[in-house]
Amino acid sequence: MIGFASPKGERLPEGAPRRAPSLVAWLILSPLLIWLLLFVVAPTAMLTLVSFAERDSLGRIIWNFNLQNYVRAFDWVWIKILLESVYYAFLTTVICMALGYPTAYFIGRAPERWRGILLMLVMVPFWTSFLIRTYAWINILSKEGLLNSLLISSGLLEEPVAMLYSPFAIVLGLVYNFLPFMILPIYTSVEKLDNAMIEAAYDLGAGPVRAFSKVIIPLTRPGIAAGAMLVFVPSIAMFAITTLMGGGSNPTIGEVIFKQFTSGRNQPFGAALGTLLLIVFIIALWLTHSQRERED
Amino acid sequence: MIRIDSLFCGAWTIAVMAFLYIPIVLLMVFSFNSSRLNLSWEGFTTKWYEALLTNRVLLTAFQNSLIVASATTLLSTLLGTLGAWMLYRYRFPFQRLLGLLIFIPMVMPEVLMGVSLLVLFVQFLNIPLGFTTMIIAHTTFCFPFVLVAVQARLQGLDPSQEEAAMDLGATPLQSFWKITLPFLMPAIVSGALMSFTLSLDEYIVSVFTTGSQSQTLPLKVYGMAKVGLNPQLNALSSIFIAATVAVALAGHFIGKKKIL
Amino acid sequence: MKTKKLVLSTVTAFAFLGFASAAPTKNLNIYCWSEYIPQNIIDQFSKETGVKVSVENYASNEEMLSKLAAGGGDYDLIQPSEYVIEALVKDKFLHPLDHAKLSNLKNIAPQFLNMPFDPDNKFSIPYMAGTVGIVVNTDLVKDEVRSFADVFKPENKGKIVVLDDAREIVTWALLSQGLGINQVTDKNLKQIKPILQQWIPLIKVYDSDSPKTALLNGDASIGVVWGGEGAILLNKNKKFRWVMPSEGAHLFIDSLAIPKTAKNVDNAEAFMNFILRPEISKQISEEFPYLNPNLAARKLMTQKQLDNAASFPSDDEIKKMQIFKDIGTKGSDIEELITTLKAQ
Repeated sequence: MIGFASPKGERLPEGAPRRAPSLVAWLILSPLLIWLLLFVVAPTAMLTLVSFAERDSLGRIIWNFNLQNYVRAFDWVWIKILLESVYYAFLTTVICMALGYPTAYFIGRAPERWRGILLMLVMVPFWTSFLIRTYAWINILSKEGLLNSLLISSGLLEEPVAMLYSPFAIVLGLVYNFLPFMILPIYTSVEKLDNAMIEAAYDLGAGPVRAFSKVIIPLTRPGIAAGAMLVFVPSIAMFAITTLMGGGSNPTIGEVIFKQFTSGRNQPFGAALGTLLLIVFIIALWLTHSQRERED
Repeated sequence: MIRIDSLFCGAWTIAVMAFLYIPIVLLMVFSFNSSRLNLSWEGFTTKWYEALLTNRVLLTAFQNSLIVASATTLLSTLLGTLGAWMLYRYRFPFQRLLGLLIFIPMVMPEVLMGVSLLVLFVQFLNIPLGFTTMIIAHTTFCFPFVLVAVQARLQGLDPSQEEAAMDLGATPLQSFWKITLPFLMPAIVSGALMSFTLSLDEYIVSVFTTGSQSQTLPLKVYGMAKVGLNPQLNALSSIFIAATVAVALAGHFIGKKKIL
Repeated sequence: MKTKKLVLSTVTAFAFLGFASAAPTKNLNIYCWSEYIPQNIIDQFSKETGVKVSVENYASNEEMLSKLAAGGGDYDLIQPSEYVIEALVKDKFLHPLDHAKLSNLKNIAPQFLNMPFDPDNKFSIPYMAGTVGIVVNTDLVKDEVRSFADVFKPENKGKIVVLDDAREIVTWALLSQGLGINQVTDKNLKQIKPILQQWIPLIKVYDSDSPKTALLNGDASIGVVWGGEGAILLNKNKKFRWVMPSEGAHLFIDSLAIPKTAKNVDNAEAFMNFILRPEISKQISEEFPYLNPNLAARKLMTQKQLDNAASFPSDDEIKKMQIFKDIGTKGSDIEELITTLKAQ
């Protein structure tokens, strides 16, 4: 069953047993199946194969199968780097959720004709190249940058503070770039909220805090879960922006794999690290899923 | 009646929008800066806009980006929406496995995806590198975003309406078209926006799957930091953002037709 | 059946005609570093020769190498650095050059010709050269800086920007120990590991694309950067000083070469010869202030350009510089070494 993005498993409402797929259903699903097979399963299988192989001095694959890449990959360094990447991704997800939820709620409850335009406004800043966005941030955060000179001229600071090239800058870069991917899915859940339900909560004397915690948030959980997924998962392997803003002294798993693939000319080892990342990730998904099933 | 929560959420939204637009305002200001290095203000100029108009390379790359992103958006939206709907509606064998596979392109580091697709295209499928390969590659990492968004919206969809339509003789496809699709629209639009954005800005996967005729903007821009990012890029982004916002606002105020 | 055959042969004939008439439209597919060959140079070449030039870019030698090795793309001209030329020659990836068509090769200074990575320039011509050295912001760093040892000392902790490149960092450590830059052996790596262990925690920023940014915006005050980056900084502000490290440095030579699979060899050679013209080469130097190996072009440059110590080290300094050899599979080990030390 699909539905790893859902918090409550994927039970259909009562009285709606899921059917066995008809021929038409298979036909409609077939493009997705073919796509997955050709462009997801085949490349992943290839990578897994490569991860057991060796390479020559130019980086071409030599098909001598052995486990040496995995022996090498089971080292505390790589695990530490992976854990750190996961930690940053987690932090990013939490902050995006805090920043994104009220925004998504506001857009979802805005008058209908404003919703489209507000959504557009959330997304449009990202229709620029990530390089110029990131260099703009560098301009703002640097020691002789806008924020420091603003703080100094307003008397709040005496000396410029180093904000760039720090864990703070890494998280800022990630949050900035992934925030829309939290707002949009939550919006889709908020948008279908039944007004009557919220009114009822208020009518029964619930304050905004109680209405939110008891009614609104539980009802929008699928959107929150989807948003968390769309922010958390891709930000684990993200590295271009984090390296630019963080200064590159904390290696991330995406960067390490990239470097083994390119300047290391060691695709088999890079593939082994990538395969391990996939395995860890799949196990984690599987576990959360079974956990939810048990809870249900 | 305006409640505290909508006041709070409104103020919050304004703050978040400000956060999102800080760098954008800055790059718009710098598109009029006469310094090439983009670091400090040295005087007003419109020369970057003038230069941009004759910069065939940047404009072509931008056009290519739009082509790839539009095609990717279309394909991902189709794949993601139909996939999510089918997987919700029916119980397929190996459904749990399918659910896992969908997440693989999201977690797979870009370089792994880029190189493995390159090998697949060149050595197994024999597709020459170019728009086709690039669109396939982009769609592969974009459609899961649509699928996840649509799936979230489907949670708790009342199947009785669809059932009722089918009881009245509508085919599943008709009931999908008339009932499910309108209901899913906000999620589909969200997914489409996300796909478009992801595709527009993708660099690493593009490097490995592009040909010389399908050079997109990120590919042209990537090395520019070496000599200072070309301020023409600021100009290009400013025009694009301003135009998009203008079109959206015009659509909002002229057409009463709701988009979502 | 007969009609079918007729149609088929007509179509084939047309296709053939189409192909034949398409052949004379001259094409050239260049696969080069992004922002290294100015667009107006390419336009001038197109205008003069009528060759339609397509340009595809990469951001590192290895991106190009992996794409080439996988058999992607039809490239007529590539732009690898010296150690990659060596590897490509060894693996017979390159097309030998016809020197009769490269009359302008005579403009190149002899010190950049007939290099060990490509004897007699059988496969490659130099495009731009350069080195890696030290830039000091003299407003912020008052001590005399002469060597890598002066850069990597505890007083400079949190002020240093370096190239995000494992091979480079290892090279500096090897030089500081008086070891040859190409002796990347397990024994030597072991020997330099304690040095790197001291150096790496001192470093604030790793950036290969634009190390000048951190220096310009004040977050770093001393750096080990590409000569071209150093040259931009020196032009920008007098407070920056360029220092050739006393332990030594390496000379890189970015070159042009033709892959064996190239379909338009003549056009590629014509482009090479075009680039070698003094007035063209001079234009490249104006945009990218690297070490221009073209002597005739240097005659056309201003004194200010030639005096830039980061662009043009003295001949004595150049003579002492070593050149990277391909280290093949060792690249992966040094990536691991640097990553491990960074993660500590």
